[in-house]
Amino acid sequence: MKTKRHSLEKNEQKMALWLLLPSFVILFTIAFYPLGSVFSKSFTNERFASSQKTEFVGMQNYQKLLSLKITKLEAVSQDSNGTIIYEDPIDILPREPFRYKEISQFNIFSNHYVFSATDPAFIVSVKDTLTFTLLSVALETILGMAVALIMIKNFPGRGGMRVAMLVPWAIPTAVSSRMWEWMFASTRVGVFNVMGQWFGITNGQFPWLADPSTQVWAMIAIDVWKTTPFMALLIMAGLQTIPKGIYEAATIDGCNGWKQFTKMTLPMVKDTLVVALIFRTLDALRVFDLFQIVFAQKRYSMASYSYYQLIDNKLMGYSSATSVVIFLIIFLFIILYTKISGGVTDE
Amino acid sequence: MNKKASKIFSKIIFWILVVYLFIYFVFPFYWTINTSLKTENQLLMTPATFIPVDHLTGEAVFSLQNYKAVFTNPTFINGLKNSLIVALSVTILCLIIGSFAAFALGKLRFKGKRFSLYLILSMTMFPQISVLTGLYAVINKFHISAIPAMIFSYFLFTLPFTIWVMTSFFKGLPNSLMQAANVDGATAFQSFYMILLPLTAPAMVTTGLLAFIAAWNEYLFALTFTSIEESARTVPVAMALFTGTIAKQEPFGEIMAAAVVVTIPLLILIYIFQKKLIEGLTAGAVKG
Repeated sequence: MKTKRHSLEKNEQKMALWLLLPSFVILFTIAFYPLGSVFSKSFTNERFASSQKTEFVGMQNYQKLLSLKITKLEAVSQDSNGTIIYEDPIDILPREPFRYKEISQFNIFSNHYVFSATDPAFIVSVKDTLTFTLLSVALETILGMAVALIMIKNFPGRGGMRVAMLVPWAIPTAVSSRMWEWMFASTRVGVFNVMGQWFGITNGQFPWLADPSTQVWAMIAIDVWKTTPFMALLIMAGLQTIPKGIYEAATIDGCNGWKQFTKMTLPMVKDTLVVALIFRTLDALRVFDLFQIVFAQKRYSMASYSYYQLIDNKLMGYSSATSVVIFLIIFLFIILYTKISGGVTDE
Repeated sequence: MNKKASKIFSKIIFWILVVYLFIYFVFPFYWTINTSLKTENQLLMTPATFIPVDHLTGEAVFSLQNYKAVFTNPTFINGLKNSLIVALSVTILCLIIGSFAAFALGKLRFKGKRFSLYLILSMTMFPQISVLTGLYAVINKFHISAIPAMIFSYFLFTLPFTIWVMTSFFKGLPNSLMQAANVDGATAFQSFYMILLPLTAPAMVTTGLLAFIAAWNEYLFALTFTSIEESARTVPVAMALFTGTIAKQEPFGEIMAAAVVVTIPLLILIYIFQKKLIEGLTAGAVKG
């Protein structure tokens, strides 16, 4: 009896190995091996589709990608209005080994500084991607919660509403990017400029996608529309696990709506909410389609910048370094979330 | 009386919210349909109209010319074909390979099970962009053409998810089924494909649909791998790089018609399978 069970277990072990093998072979070839090769390429000057010899360049790619500098600018003169004129950053920013280029200027305690980087486009793309991620995830969560609270109520037309909700989620991002691009058109052929004029917000000519101050906001608007349904569905699933009786009991005890929400509903959907937040944050951090389709080279997300370096500039080594930085940033967020949520609970 | 008034008031607020959200979700798609039915002249009318109208008489006029153009556009038709091939292949292969792994993880006892599960779960967080250059180098080295390259690389995001959801489904099936089959002399593998696999059909429909939609919508890999092989472009790439046959500038009328054509099949799928889709989407979060 004992030996039979033993051989059975051994059999299972062997079979499990064979069943898992295809999955692991595939995942190794398309995930772990490429990740490793991206990592090693990031230390070279490899060019894509080129006969140039690949050389090991150490940390040079990372140095160029990530070098930042804050330099104090000295006042040189004053114009007739009393405005102080500062020295030109181009004259004082270092040029070796890579040239520092200005990103912005700012004042602290009556001192004037210039913020510069050797690859300003990448630094700006990191800033834009983080802004995009934080704002769109926050808005999606709030809106998703509202939708979920409505959708768990029984009302006529709920089925239709559920289908309507899945519309934005199902439309391919490539398609919805084009749809919104058209709605954001810079004259009154675009619906937002028509509406903007109705409400007196714009003169009907506002270039939503060309004006730097609204570019990221436009991306956020599209992303919130597209992913709120997903957020709402996850939160709904969490809400459905809450027994109805506890609300009745709370009402009898004189606990009102808002208090019920913050003291009962929120803590009980916390776990689901954390999982949803992780999914969405990681997704938003690697955003590509939206930025690539709407802006191409006008404004980058981290991923579209990496793509640009690979395909347009053929800099495989440099693009790889960008990818590694993106991977590390995302990894950092995963650690942060697991720390905050107190570790992933076991099964 | 007062209580009744406040109840009516909150009901009104509730319905305003419902209507508002409905419009919010559906309006962009409505606008797409509206645009797709306009001629090039109607597109340029300011302010834009909420239904296609004649610019002189103001009467509603619908034009199907954009649809005609889209269906005679070889890039778009070819894109539909490519997308269908890629998405279907990914779905079928993913279900086969994924259900093997899920059965092992859900029902068999072996060493390293927890590690394997976590390894696969961690894959769902893998940023596509981080493997792009490495993957592209592999594909170039072995001269894999674009369509197989896409099918193969899409496992990156479809396979881990499929395994994860299917595993939790296998776990939920009673052990007694396998034991009974065992007593009757069936091997573990026989009991897997003769008894357990048919029972997982509902989970297969769900994960299959999600894999299909994910593959249908994918853009980054498709754009990269087809950059030198234009005939292999899928719908999202064709949409993003759309050049029209009617308009000389950006042909938004045709783009919107194409958008409607691409979206309608997905909407039908959603309408039929909405319950299953919602189950699948939320399974990972609630059970995981």
